[in-house]
Amino acid sequence: MSSRITDELKAWIGREVTYAAPEELGRAAIRYFALATGDGNPLYHDEAIARQSRHGGIVAPPTLVCETNQIYPRPPDLNGYIGHHWELPLQSDRFIRGGNEYEFHQPVRPDDRVTVSWRIVDIYERDTRQGGPLVFVVSEARYTNQRGELLAVNRETNIH
Amino acid sequence: MVAPSSRCFEDVAVGEPLPTLDIEITMTSLVMYAGATWDFHPYHYDPAYVTKRGMRAPFMDGQMVGAFLARQLMHWGGPDAFVRRLSYRLRAMVYAGERILVSGEITGTAIEAGRPLALCTLNVVKADGTDVVRGAAAAVELARR
Repeated sequence: MSSRITDELKAWIGREVTYAAPEELGRAAIRYFALATGDGNPLYHDEAIARQSRHGGIVAPPTLVCETNQIYPRPPDLNGYIGHHWELPLQSDRFIRGGNEYEFHQPVRPDDRVTVSWRIVDIYERDTRQGGPLVFVVSEARYTNQRGELLAVNRETNIH
Repeated sequence: MVAPSSRCFEDVAVGEPLPTLDIEITMTSLVMYAGATWDFHPYHYDPAYVTKRGMRAPFMDGQMVGAFLARQLMHWGGPDAFVRRLSYRLRAMVYAGERILVSGEITGTAIEAGRPLALCTLNVVKADGTDVVRGAAAAVELARR
């Protein structure tokens, strides 16, 4: 079977793009995310309790920063999608999330202004019996705040 | 509201179970998560769009699983906890109308860069027994006594 990984596609390994949020994350975004995930943890909405914790105030649920599509300065595409994605030279109508590896370096706070840098770390192929070869794209996102402090690293694998 | 107490590193026992989460994934919860994450892809709310593409119903964003795993870990660790690492691989899609069960246990403890960590493994299973995540790995920084 012929490989779907062309030289043109391979050249995308190492490519990087950076987006900066136009505003602070905000408490409402934190409360909305907690609400949407059924998460009643007071750290995310109760300033009095959060202040007594070692975090010293309201923080965001850990994975929220890895789902901040509001920081991308784009109008929605035809599917209503506004988040980051790579325009890869790859024929595929398949897009499956394979999984995520998160490192959290410090809690994200309501007044944090997030910048993210996405980089393609690997592109490889695996053969499957039925569907033909699948292409795996591994990307890494590094999230920092307005002081340049590292908040989180999100390594994700998407399957095409 | 009374502040919940934090779990202390010294009190953690290997083999200790994490509290189980039983979550019904409804169209409403998919729409709420889509809104909260500014992800307006019809995958998550439009039955006609997804069935035309061969899927049986709108489905959960993969990272929503990550949010539930983190929710469970932070709930267990209390207000002084902080999830340091979390990794998982998705084995199955979760569709609107399905129920998932999140469970886990403590597999070890470690001190890394002076930080007291509980190491955990977590699983997500559908009500019908299908594995969604098996053996997710996490490290949670805890308070000290």
